[in-house]
Amino acid sequence: MAGNSLVLPIVLWGRKAPTHCISTLLLMEDTSMIVTGCHDGQICLWDLSLDLEINPRALLFGHTASITCLSKASASSEKQYIVSASEGGEMCLWDVNDGRCIEFTKLACTHTGIQFYQFTVGTQREGRLLCHGHYPEILVVDATSLEVLYSLLSKISPDWISSMTIIRSNRTQEDTVVAVSVTGILKVWIITSEVSRMQDTTPVFEEESKPIYCQNCQSVSFCAFTQRSLLVVCSKYWRVFDAGDYSLLCSVPSENDQTWTGGDFVSADKVIVWTEDGQSFIYKLPASCLPASDSFRRDVGKAVENLIPPLLYSVLDRADKQLLICPPVTRFFYGHREFSYKLLIQGDSSGRLCIWSVPDTLEQQDGAKGLQTTTSISLQEAFDKLTPRPAGIIDQLSLIPNINEPLRVTASVYIPAHGRLVCGREDGSIVIVPATQTAIVQLLQGEHMLRRGWPPHRTLRGHRNKITCLLYPHQVSARYDQRYLISGGVDFSVIIWDIFSGEMKHIFCVHGGEITQLLVPPENCSARVQHCICSVASDHSVGLLSLREKKCIMLASRHLFPIQVIKWRPSDDYLVVGCSDGSVYVWQMDTGALDRCVMGITAVEILNACDEAVPAAVDSLSHPAVNLKQAMTRRSLAALKNVAHQKLQTLATNLLASEASDKGNLPKYSHNSLMVQAIKTNLTDPDIHVLFFDVEALIIQLLTEEASRPNTALTSPENLQKASGGSDKGGSFLTGKRAAVLFQQVKETIKENIKEHLLDDEDEDEELGRQRREDCDPEYHSSKSKPLTLLEYNLTMDTAKLFMSCLHAWGLNSVLDELCLDRLGMLKPHCSVSFGLLSRGGHMSLMLPGYNQPVGKPSYDGVELGRKMSVTEGLGKGTYGVSRAVTTQHLLSVISLANTLMSMTNATFIGDHMKKGPTRPPRPGTPEMTKVKAPPSISTHAAQGQIKQGWSQLAAMHCVMLPDLLGLDKFRPPLLEMLARRWQDRCLEVREAAQALLLAELRRIEQAGRKETIDAWAPYLPQYIDSVISPGVTTEAIQTGSASPDSLGTEAKVQEEEHDLVDDDIAAGEH
Amino acid sequence: MASVAERAVLEEEFKWLLQEEVHAVLKQLQDILKEASRRLTLPVSGSGGAVKQENFVLSTAGTDQVKGVLTLQGDALCQADINLKMPRNNQLLHFAFREDKQWKLQQIQDARNHVNQAIYLLMNRDVNYQFKTGLEVLKLMDAVMLQLSRARNRLTTPATLTLPEIASSGLTKMFTPALPPDILVNFYINLNKLCLTVYQLHVLQPSTTKNFKPAGGSILHNPGAMFEFGNQRYEVSHVHKVECVVPWLNDALVFFTVSLQLCQQLKDKVMALEKGLCF
Repeated sequence: MAGNSLVLPIVLWGRKAPTHCISTLLLMEDTSMIVTGCHDGQICLWDLSLDLEINPRALLFGHTASITCLSKASASSEKQYIVSASEGGEMCLWDVNDGRCIEFTKLACTHTGIQFYQFTVGTQREGRLLCHGHYPEILVVDATSLEVLYSLLSKISPDWISSMTIIRSNRTQEDTVVAVSVTGILKVWIITSEVSRMQDTTPVFEEESKPIYCQNCQSVSFCAFTQRSLLVVCSKYWRVFDAGDYSLLCSVPSENDQTWTGGDFVSADKVIVWTEDGQSFIYKLPASCLPASDSFRRDVGKAVENLIPPLLYSVLDRADKQLLICPPVTRFFYGHREFSYKLLIQGDSSGRLCIWSVPDTLEQQDGAKGLQTTTSISLQEAFDKLTPRPAGIIDQLSLIPNINEPLRVTASVYIPAHGRLVCGREDGSIVIVPATQTAIVQLLQGEHMLRRGWPPHRTLRGHRNKITCLLYPHQVSARYDQRYLISGGVDFSVIIWDIFSGEMKHIFCVHGGEITQLLVPPENCSARVQHCICSVASDHSVGLLSLREKKCIMLASRHLFPIQVIKWRPSDDYLVVGCSDGSVYVWQMDTGALDRCVMGITAVEILNACDEAVPAAVDSLSHPAVNLKQAMTRRSLAALKNVAHQKLQTLATNLLASEASDKGNLPKYSHNSLMVQAIKTNLTDPDIHVLFFDVEALIIQLLTEEASRPNTALTSPENLQKASGGSDKGGSFLTGKRAAVLFQQVKETIKENIKEHLLDDEDEDEELGRQRREDCDPEYHSSKSKPLTLLEYNLTMDTAKLFMSCLHAWGLNSVLDELCLDRLGMLKPHCSVSFGLLSRGGHMSLMLPGYNQPVGKPSYDGVELGRKMSVTEGLGKGTYGVSRAVTTQHLLSVISLANTLMSMTNATFIGDHMKKGPTRPPRPGTPEMTKVKAPPSISTHAAQGQIKQGWSQLAAMHCVMLPDLLGLDKFRPPLLEMLARRWQDRCLEVREAAQALLLAELRRIEQAGRKETIDAWAPYLPQYIDSVISPGVTTEAIQTGSASPDSLGTEAKVQEEEHDLVDDDIAAGEH
Repeated sequence: MASVAERAVLEEEFKWLLQEEVHAVLKQLQDILKEASRRLTLPVSGSGGAVKQENFVLSTAGTDQVKGVLTLQGDALCQADINLKMPRNNQLLHFAFREDKQWKLQQIQDARNHVNQAIYLLMNRDVNYQFKTGLEVLKLMDAVMLQLSRARNRLTTPATLTLPEIASSGLTKMFTPALPPDILVNFYINLNKLCLTVYQLHVLQPSTTKNFKPAGGSILHNPGAMFEFGNQRYEVSHVHKVECVVPWLNDALVFFTVSLQLCQQLKDKVMALEKGLCF
């Protein structure tokens, strides 16, 4: 269900690259890509060209803790899957082509290393992941489902495994796993094809267990060149062992107090070992370590001191001695692409990747000079070299004379009801801007570029330093005054603002540290607490600040550790504070008394009990702009996605549940086609803004507004009559009727997936109630219609304009481009727009700015050329060359929206109607409204026709002409299975788009392609036809089938069922 | 805004913090953690002799349904002598570990490994290392604290197991005479205590009208919990929990708590001074 609706993120990164303190890295086997994991839990994909140029492409979000290891997870070259594991025990399978999360799971234990291995099961090759970590065994995990199948156990002194390698033997069919435990015991398991068939029958114990006295083992590697030796690197020495009987061949202590962190074989006679401070050393092994030599194993059994030491051959050192805040990660990769490569790759705490290409014929160099870095780039450098610089959401308003960099946005909150984004900045000022307008400025070219200080905005000044958090309480609960905006700063203060008047209402100075969080207490708290907000500060204190009394009613301080989570037990009047060390403090809200302080199991139980009492949604939605780590932990992003995704369900439940609590203007997340979420990958970073476009909601909003137009062809004359008649009698009647019309329209669009009765009565009543309240409560009314800023604009049309302009594949058809610009009012983007892709369980991939910069890819020379000509001409022709999943989503969106716009009257983004929304925020049907409506009717039928034709051409180009226009090398065709899943989409427009696209794609791939598809999917089809004839089926089953009165109907049903089953299979495969 | 003089003092203090105070705290942390690690490591008596064994008498408040003596050797239970008085017929059952078997308490090993990792992190930043930024210190403290809180959590929060998991664990096969099929046992560490739970089961007949609902994972299951194991349905009829205090676990926990607080205090100092310099 979650994957069902079409939500597309667009991200505005800003000039500062996100913190990426690399914790682990991986080179894909075809060397086309480097994958890095960081301490904050993100994964970065870097494109690597043949001449070793690096360009960061995308950032993957989903892990909540530091990435501990990465491994490839598929053997085939067409599927580029990797698996990642985090400190928190999460494991995630990604398709690195487009950054989709395929599968994820969470175990109680942490993995510190994963190796991919293919088992032969019968004739099949099954991918397995061998994992080790903070547990005394090696877990064997299925590489597609991430299920733990069985484990390799130790009989003798079982302990954690520090490192492990797989030895593939050409001589025998037996492959072995060699691992070293934390206590320095070498363990060997034989993994043969039999083992894979054994599943939790008999335990698999080690073959051999031998103490090799290797404390703090960092890495074990097997010599791929001779297949006879093992390199074990420990923090203070490294050793070479014979891979046959594990006898010691040579041992080298570290010099100058250096700490080794790993090593590998460079060739048959050379090893490379690297240190904690990022230096690497290449040693030539003595003859006694070389199987090819006569003196191999001659020194076995000698005392370590008497062994011949290896020769230091070369030194690879970091080019820039930039200060690192933690040890860099170094890995050596060896393999063949078009030529054989030996690459040493290092990632460090500043998000920098360095590559050394180790030549095959290595000359001995004097230690000082060493081998030079081949390539080096950091995420920030990649951001800096782009023109134009990556846009931040309000960059144009944040430029200060004499300073190059715009002021950083440090906290943000989006108010969907007004379409306004509130940004707190590092200088302590708060800016309120219309979200779509400011995004248009950042992303698109147009006349707005010439205006200074555009879009109109309001600035609130009061804090003396950086804003750390913002909260708009009314959005969480209607019980709060909708004028109030709360901000917290690094200056220890919390300020209440009136967003309509811009005045500062009150300053709270109760904390002794910067404010880290602002939260809203749940609904069922005592009346006094209900009008409070909860503030958390870095001095480990929590305050309840009453907005009504303008004072702090409780301050819970003296917690020993930073506060991690706040929970509520309203029925007992308890505030539950969870600290980072696992302790839990229970405070009485009324008296401010500390009820108890507990640790361990009791603490866990108390926190869990709070979760049961409070609906999760309330809790997780109350902090819209937390940093990503927190958001992920609390699944707040997931909650947000839920809101965005299942908005229809939410709509229904909201309508039911809100009846009592709704004070006329419940924040309708459900209606929002645009959500802006601010994320931080690291607490010290400025905000990154992600715009989530919900295509379905946008279509519904467009249609709703269309239906509410008095002079539209879609509204029946009867309704029109009623509406005009009603206008004399009074607004309330009119709006009531209008609401009914609207909802009729909405219902037609929704059709499936929502229980009809939920929408039937309540919604209309609710809507009516809302309108009535608006009418009879003048204060309410006036406060509502008061504009937030000077600019009034049509939010829906603006959203559509922004979205369509970003999606359109510019530069392919100049005639159409002209038409889009002149007639339809679309705007060209400044540069390639960074889209994102949402996948399972709140996992998200966001393209980095300049993701399509050429990385030595010959097919992209067009872009290179284009850049020289002009930035605008060369921009990447949409995003249809990124990946098949991205293409599918983008084509579906652009076609369904174009069709929707085509069905509307005057659906152009130019003209007066853009200035004011027809339905919201001002009420329709008012006299001024009709005035606005009047001019469009003048527009001739010819103009209307041109507009409609424009949309139709736009849709047609994306539907059928794209493959030809782009050329197959730059076009990734849409995924058939994704389209098939939307064959019966609940939203009619999306459904039609999917059907049209699917048919177009089937036509394009021609008979051969179609046959291939059928062959690929045939094994998954249930064999209904066979079962009828087959003797295995009981006669009853056939009888019931044939005996049913409408056999035709059953047959149809069977077919439908079949269809569903196929869908499920696709769902499983595609996720 | 801090005045110039004030700023100079702050900078001086920050320098002192990075150069002197941090190392003093790291040294103190190392000492404490080495003590903690020593508590959790096999205590070796004398020179290379047999590993020291400690006996603990299990007790409960009130009833004397279960009595026993456990022998602990580092992280392994090498002897268990359990007397169980059946509540139904007052029959006395006696079990002991088989001579060739011992049961490893994974919680202790995990805690020890986590502490050792913390010590390793600290040792790599000894007096010779020069801290240049506050961020470095914070990063190191985060890594150390992660290991320490993991270590403490392993002792304070035992694994939640389902009854089939307990039934299928190797523990049931450790005893001589063999445990009767209607008895399950489980050992775990909770804070400073070594705990033994004995579950008495009764078989649910397939014809029973009782609503079968398998129990989920828990540290301690209550009477009435049901589960299915080996095609047979069981219900827990009696639960006995006995425990004994292990003094060195208590020490280790205290050391963990103290060092976590030290780490946090150092972090707070660094952050406060860095903030002070920002203004």
